[in-house]
Amino acid sequence: MTDEITRLMRLVEFADSAFPVGTFSFSNGLESAAFEGVVEDAETLEQYTRTVLRQTVYCDAIAALHAFRAAGRNDYEAIKEADRQVMLCKMNAEARQMLIRTGKKMAEICTRITESALMKQWLQDIREQQVAGTYPVTQAIYFQQSGLTEKELFVAIEYGAINMVLNAALRCVKVSHYETQSILYRLSAEAAADYESIREAEYEDMAAFVPEMDIMASLHEKGKMRMFMN
Amino acid sequence: MKDFAKCRELSPYLAETPAMRLGAPGKNGKLDLVFELDASNKSIMRHWDRRAPLIVQQELYFDEGMPEMPCVYILSSGGPNVDGDRYENRFTVRKDAYAFISTGAATKIAEMIYNYSALKQTFVLEENAYLEYLPEATIPCRNSRYVTDTDIHIHPSATLFYAEIYTSGRKYYREGELFVYDLLSVCTRAFRPNGVPLFREKMVAEPKRKSVRHIGVMHHYDVFANVIVLTPEKDAAQIYERTQAVMNREENLAVGITHLPNRCGLIFKVLGKETQPVKRAVREFCSVVRMQIKGKPLPEEFIWR
Repeated sequence: MTDEITRLMRLVEFADSAFPVGTFSFSNGLESAAFEGVVEDAETLEQYTRTVLRQTVYCDAIAALHAFRAAGRNDYEAIKEADRQVMLCKMNAEARQMLIRTGKKMAEICTRITESALMKQWLQDIREQQVAGTYPVTQAIYFQQSGLTEKELFVAIEYGAINMVLNAALRCVKVSHYETQSILYRLSAEAAADYESIREAEYEDMAAFVPEMDIMASLHEKGKMRMFMN
Repeated sequence: MKDFAKCRELSPYLAETPAMRLGAPGKNGKLDLVFELDASNKSIMRHWDRRAPLIVQQELYFDEGMPEMPCVYILSSGGPNVDGDRYENRFTVRKDAYAFISTGAATKIAEMIYNYSALKQTFVLEENAYLEYLPEATIPCRNSRYVTDTDIHIHPSATLFYAEIYTSGRKYYREGELFVYDLLSVCTRAFRPNGVPLFREKMVAEPKRKSVRHIGVMHHYDVFANVIVLTPEKDAAQIYERTQAVMNREENLAVGITHLPNRCGLIFKVLGKETQPVKRAVREFCSVVRMQIKGKPLPEEFIWR
């Protein structure tokens, strides 16, 4: 059993935007939204961030919780199923690419800094293209293996989604650090309710209704000039 | 019929309908249409089974861009979908056959008090089959609940053009009904004939619980089209290249396209303020797809549609 202080240290480390999995290179369509003037200030940024969060909670987080519980049972097939479900539900090519790249990066870092047979097998399967190795599922394996809790995993996923958009916003939207921190503070207060809303959700409940965001991602995918990756 | 009652989002809407019981004649529409090539290689509707209130008449060959294509309109003698209505459609296109399916008018989802209306659809496309499914828009009225569940079983060589258009409601009725429905839940899954899953998209809108006016959701748009094109990878690549993603401020139209998971095709989305420009964008896209697969464009839409 990992003690509380160590767990919190691990949580801060893995949720930190400086944890080098490359999330800082993606904007979740924000770059196009800013270019098109759809997101132009703190108010519109907060709305956009809420939309990104809604999609993350009702897709990535549901699969991650299933993967976390499967890792706890050492049920490798169930972990792979969670990974498949994430990929089946990601309609945007750009979003799938982001989850695969960051997932692989996370698995590589984790196998370097700790000993986990499960994570080693996962990374090998990623390299051999036996699994997609999506970010939320890789996060779930690592959190479970590091003795962190399911709620802490959810915190990292929710915080990561918010922070990715807000960090990108500082580079492409006219907002200040004060405003982005204020948005983060407000949205963080809703995380507990978000967790409760999906705690018992099944794969069939994974859903997203974000058509404008999907179109923004498509504009980014088809665009020629960009700061962020696709 | 799928057990919709297991959907979490429907849990508040499971009361019995007192006027006519659930499943009563006239409340449980059904269609089973099968298209195939006849002995002279003409694509025909070989089999059609229908249960009221759904009606389908013999196929017609009115498409001037592709006069050999059997065209079928689905009609409902019951008017709008009302509380507790259930519909079940199965469309099969056999090897090398092709068809066009639409609806005679918009599907109105009437105001509800007790229960919900549901549509279960199954599409089966065999080797080299081609189907254009372009129904008129769905209009979810005040306090309505509508859930659809669509399974697609498609051979890797076949092409399905599957379009859905959803409005915000009766926009010009009285003071206007914009997103005052209770629930719109749309789930679409695709599989290869051996059962391998290709993708699963579920969209749930509950405007009274969570605003759909947020940036990234519907924002200031009132009409949404979702088009799925399942087609061989090389054709998908060509269609993708020929299709633009644009934000057209003059027409208040936003259009996007991307590749579906597992290299099974494309997904094309349109947002607009009014139905007609969105329909036009969907038809123009359908024309690109038809040109790629059949080498023929879509004709001009009838002026009364």
